Amino acid sequence: MNVKKAQSFVTQNAIYIVLVLLILGIALYEPSFISVNTLRDIMIQSSTRIIIALGVAFILITAGTDLSAGRVVGFTAVISASMLQIPDYSRRFFPDLPQLNVLLPIVIAIIAGLICGLINGLVVSKLSVPPFIATLGTMVIVYGLNSLYFDMEPNQSQPIGGLRPDFTKIGSGFFGSGQYSIPFIVIIALVVAAIVWVVFNKTKLGKNMYAIGGNIQAAKVSGIDVSKNLIYIYAIAGALYGLAGVLEAARTGGATNNYGNMYELDAIAACVVGGVSTTGGIGTVPGVLVGVIIFTLINYGLTFIGISPYYQLIIKGLIIIAAVAFDMRKYSSKR
Amino acid sequence: MRKITSVLLASALLGAALAGCGGNNNSASTTNSGAGTTNTTNSGNSGGKSAETPKVGVAIYKFDDTFMTGVRNAIQKSAEGIATVDIVDSQNSQPTQNDKVDLFITKKYNGMLINPVDRTAAGVIIDKAKTANIPVVFLNREPLPEDMKKWDKVYYVGAKAEESGTMSGQLIVDYWKAHPEADKNGDGVLQYVMLKGEPGHQDAELRTTYSIQAVEDAGIKVEKLAEDTAMWDRVKGQEKMAAFLGSHGDKIEAVFANNDDMALGAIEALKAAGYFSGDKYMPVVGVDATAPAVQALQDGTMLGTVLNDANNQGKAAITVASLLAKGETPTKDNVGFDITDNQYVWISYKKITKDNVADAK
Repeated sequence: MNVKKAQSFVTQNAIYIVLVLLILGIALYEPSFISVNTLRDIMIQSSTRIIIALGVAFILITAGTDLSAGRVVGFTAVISASMLQIPDYSRRFFPDLPQLNVLLPIVIAIIAGLICGLINGLVVSKLSVPPFIATLGTMVIVYGLNSLYFDMEPNQSQPIGGLRPDFTKIGSGFFGSGQYSIPFIVIIALVVAAIVWVVFNKTKLGKNMYAIGGNIQAAKVSGIDVSKNLIYIYAIAGALYGLAGVLEAARTGGATNNYGNMYELDAIAACVVGGVSTTGGIGTVPGVLVGVIIFTLINYGLTFIGISPYYQLIIKGLIIIAAVAFDMRKYSSKR
Repeated sequence: MRKITSVLLASALLGAALAGCGGNNNSASTTNSGAGTTNTTNSGNSGGKSAETPKVGVAIYKFDDTFMTGVRNAIQKSAEGIATVDIVDSQNSQPTQNDKVDLFITKKYNGMLINPVDRTAAGVIIDKAKTANIPVVFLNREPLPEDMKKWDKVYYVGAKAEESGTMSGQLIVDYWKAHPEADKNGDGVLQYVMLKGEPGHQDAELRTTYSIQAVEDAGIKVEKLAEDTAMWDRVKGQEKMAAFLGSHGDKIEAVFANNDDMALGAIEALKAAGYFSGDKYMPVVGVDATAPAVQALQDGTMLGTVLNDANNQGKAAITVASLLAKGETPTKDNVGFDITDNQYVWISYKKITKDNVADAK
């Protein structure tokens, strides 16, 4: 009985165990890894990824998928950066643009993300195109649009730099001082996570989302307007990518049309490792957070102890497969 | 409802197709009008057909590459009065480029200027050109030597990739020699970290190797604290540098990055760790001299970068191509650049620091 209990504990909490083992392994190898600074770095590097992964989680839970996430992030990073350069920068994207209120370009970028998501939702629900294909299409289209915008005169595909300090501060500023300061960007990610948690657990949209992902036919029969809900969900996800793109530009102090490339795969992997089911209906916000942090930990921790990037790739791949294999056991044993 | 949807769908598709055509037409007409202007000016000047400017077909590996866009603009500008150019996009696909080359030959252009997608594909292009007796100049991606030997009307214009590495190493050497305090722990050894581009990429490997070799050649001992790939990417450069700082902290005495984007990312991570304020400084070098890097040089956060000279590459390439197209032999006098082994024009990189930042603008 005890053995069984232990077994079920391991299967139920596999990702948390992986997280602890990873930290222990790295710390054993290099004790200085355990420090407040490391924690801060990992939190900072996780923040934009958390926002993207939460957007993707919405869609995965409806049994969909979103390949356009990364390219939308890149598009909105470029949009926000293009309108937020310092006035005396030598190569401004819009040479004669006045100093806008910093919020305006941010809102424009988030709306651009929302529109991309809205289009995904419309194509999926009204044209009945499978999400994989629909978002594959928008992924390519959005990259094309972004490249066109980025190549406009006088920018001509030059990286966008010289961003205004009041904008980059959003990405690099913090409350408090010294070791125990809290970066703005981490707070933004946590607030977004809290809001998404409320949407998942306390709203009708959240309940409908789980219902659609669990069994779309049953959801339709029970009177849920599936296409309306899907359109909302894709649009929300798009807005989240928009926010993430803005933060990427603010955090790095620049943008190119290649920003966000392949982020969707990282986000999907993080969701899956965090227990979001790719067949829909299952997934939690804390799970997604842990999934993202595991990947940041691999990126950061393995670089910290100087492991070759090739091994990092192999370890990442193994963790993805192992996580899903565990998940399958978890749910098959329930049935 | 279904009908409305399908009508909408059909019109959307139609719209997309039309927009696509519109785009094509636009770009084609710009090229033509550019070329047209060149043509008119010339015929106005000479009035005779003997001095007609030669037609040169130019195929760029892809239009949205930052550096090649600079070269492309330089070609367009330098072509004025010496050649009529038709510049096309190979869309980063060698088969597409070969189709464009066939088109140039069908149109009986007098010369071709090719920036190959895949350097090993030059052999096939040279065969085609030789059969049609149309001289060809390769640009920026060097064909294999055995392909270059196939015909004497084949030239190459480009930079030596390893030189960009050597120069970024020299930037650190200059700094190290001028600033004894750069040796933070006073052990006479340069402790550095390296941000590499895509693993296996020729430029990444050469820059990594030659930058460090330049430091060693200057008689400075080095110790590599960490090396990781940041895939040419600013975001990843920042994240890797944060991890390097986490594990090595103030032991790091210099940061090498294979390109400016990664160097700028590293600078952001350094700023977050308190560098570049007060007397806390870190020498960071990149390659490319992009606009944001130039800004960082002026701000005093980036120590130096290396400029791949797009203007001179474009100018030399179109000059050689137009001379060949007219049946003349390129020499140092009529090209304005040294010609090595009768077939090669090497354009030097330039070191850019705060002092000569104007050269990179």
